[in-house]
Amino acid sequence: MSSGDGGPPVPRRWRAGPAWTVVQAVLSGSLLLLFLLPIAALFSYAHVGQIVEVARDPAVRAALWLTFFASGIAVLAALVFGVPLGYVLARRRFPGRSIVESLVALPVVVPHLLVGLGLFFLVIPGAPLYRFTQAIGFPVYDTIWGVVLVMVFVSAPYTVLASDLSFRAVDGRVLEAARSLGAGSATAFLTVTFPLAFRGIVAGLLLSWARAVSEIGGLLVLAYAVYPGGVYDGPVTSTISIVVYDLFQNGNLGDAAAVSSLFLLIAFALFVLVRLGERSGWVPWRRGELEP
Amino acid sequence: MGPLAPRGARAVSREWVVERLEADLDRFHLGPLDLTATPGRAVAVLGASGSGKTTLLRTLAGFLPVRQGRVLRDGVDVTDWLPEERGLGYVPQGLGLFPQRTVAGNVRYPMEIRDRPDAAARTSELLEQFHLTALADRRPARLSGGEQQRVALARALAADPGLILWDEPWQGLDVLARDELGLVLHELRESEKVPIVLVTHDPALAFSVADSFLVLRAGQVREQCDAATLLRAPADPFAARFVGFENVFGAESLQGGSAGSFRTWLRDCAGPEGVAFASPTYPAMPGTAPAWEGTVRSARPSPHGVTVEVATDGLIVTLRIPSPVVATVPKLRGRVRFSVEPDSIQSLGAPARP
Repeated sequence: MSSGDGGPPVPRRWRAGPAWTVVQAVLSGSLLLLFLLPIAALFSYAHVGQIVEVARDPAVRAALWLTFFASGIAVLAALVFGVPLGYVLARRRFPGRSIVESLVALPVVVPHLLVGLGLFFLVIPGAPLYRFTQAIGFPVYDTIWGVVLVMVFVSAPYTVLASDLSFRAVDGRVLEAARSLGAGSATAFLTVTFPLAFRGIVAGLLLSWARAVSEIGGLLVLAYAVYPGGVYDGPVTSTISIVVYDLFQNGNLGDAAAVSSLFLLIAFALFVLVRLGERSGWVPWRRGELEP
Repeated sequence: MGPLAPRGARAVSREWVVERLEADLDRFHLGPLDLTATPGRAVAVLGASGSGKTTLLRTLAGFLPVRQGRVLRDGVDVTDWLPEERGLGYVPQGLGLFPQRTVAGNVRYPMEIRDRPDAAARTSELLEQFHLTALADRRPARLSGGEQQRVALARALAADPGLILWDEPWQGLDVLARDELGLVLHELRESEKVPIVLVTHDPALAFSVADSFLVLRAGQVREQCDAATLLRAPADPFAARFVGFENVFGAESLQGGSAGSFRTWLRDCAGPEGVAFASPTYPAMPGTAPAWEGTVRSARPSPHGVTVEVATDGLIVTLRIPSPVVATVPKLRGRVRFSVEPDSIQSLGAPARP
């Protein structure tokens, strides 16, 4: 269990010839450039003044609010429904398990425009779910619930898969020790399994969130415009991705770049905050300490 | 406590009786076996890998369903009780420490989940008792093997167990830590009077701690006895190697010798499971015992001389050769003559000799 000095194993290194080093640097560097350049281009196209200006625009604010609020609800749904599904997949053996696993992977591989279309056919007037969603007060077409529905569909699999893996990684013997020490199955889950899988679940939730806020395909069909209703009572708006798409379609490139930059800044800030929090101990252990 | 005592009540110094226990894990079948664990005594469960040792402990701990038989705690049938209701301390292989909790957090855990008001005081008491106070805020990954073992023991005791089930307590320990843990186990047995069932591959631990032995093979009980009997009459090849016989031959390896050969002679001495003997005599004593010849395969030095492996009649025999006669031992591929005292031969699988 312990390697003696306690630290993580140091990867073995060899002396490499200069040519090999250059090949490695060029190949990895090219990909990193591809990641970085478009974002740099966005920021250089938009002036700082323009970013500040769109940040003051109530329409943009409404779109931002809608995007983050809806994606927040989607992540919450992924937590409430996705983590238990991940647990079931990790711990239970049942017939048809591989079918369930394929179902979970489905949203990742199906083009999202088709997802939107499928949901659309489910909730248009006359469709089986139309009356139901109306009756329980969750109208879907062109409402915030439509946005949430699409986002959950496309993003929850990442939480399910991440929690499946994290729960699997929890040592069954640690769990048995806890049970034997007097913890019932619920207590053992709350005090041992969940804390040990927590980091992996958080990583899955982050991925889900990132996927949710960047969604556009399904939204183009199901919730292009979002009208007030449900938990949203602002002006008619759209998610940020659709706002940017509209601006681009109308030839308003400067604003498109500015709104994109603003959105990226906020998203980055949130991401960095989470990472910092992780380092500074809002999770109760430090990096590397959970490795055996 | 009588049969009406609530489940999970403070359980100390209990007597555990296992009657005709049988359990299944996938295709593996364990039992039937009987076992008694009484306060102040330790039972060592021995057996090769895959013989069912861990399966037995997990069944006793309540993690595997019992197919037949009963587990009684002070006369109360606990066969179908959940693991958390049994009031025992199960220490799995690898110890099962909580990696996200500190040493103190690990030790406090059983009291924390029971909301015991004296949890803090009892925790520091246990940390003190197991010399862990200075390490209280460390996490298990930052501890040595011996320290981790002490945490596991302290944590198990914090639950006031009526029985300690310990899987491979010696694993991954250096010699000093072993000695120390042996003392801790001894103290546990003497002062706390907790019955202990431990699974081990290590003869030194088994003989320094255990009062009785249970030898398993393929899920079946081969032998159940005290130390003297195990030494005098190991039931099967595993038990014979365990107690230190240098030369152990299973029944199947004795088949097919020609008349008058070493192999045939051994087979005639063997029980149903084979035969075991300590080092033969070298040089061969003429007249007193049958003498055999073989080819030297390897020689290893030891403080008392050399240990030589000799191939004869398709078998490898190990000879301990004392220093005074080492010079007379031929080198590799040389021929040696040795004799095996009939008295030193132990047949395996036969009833114990009186």
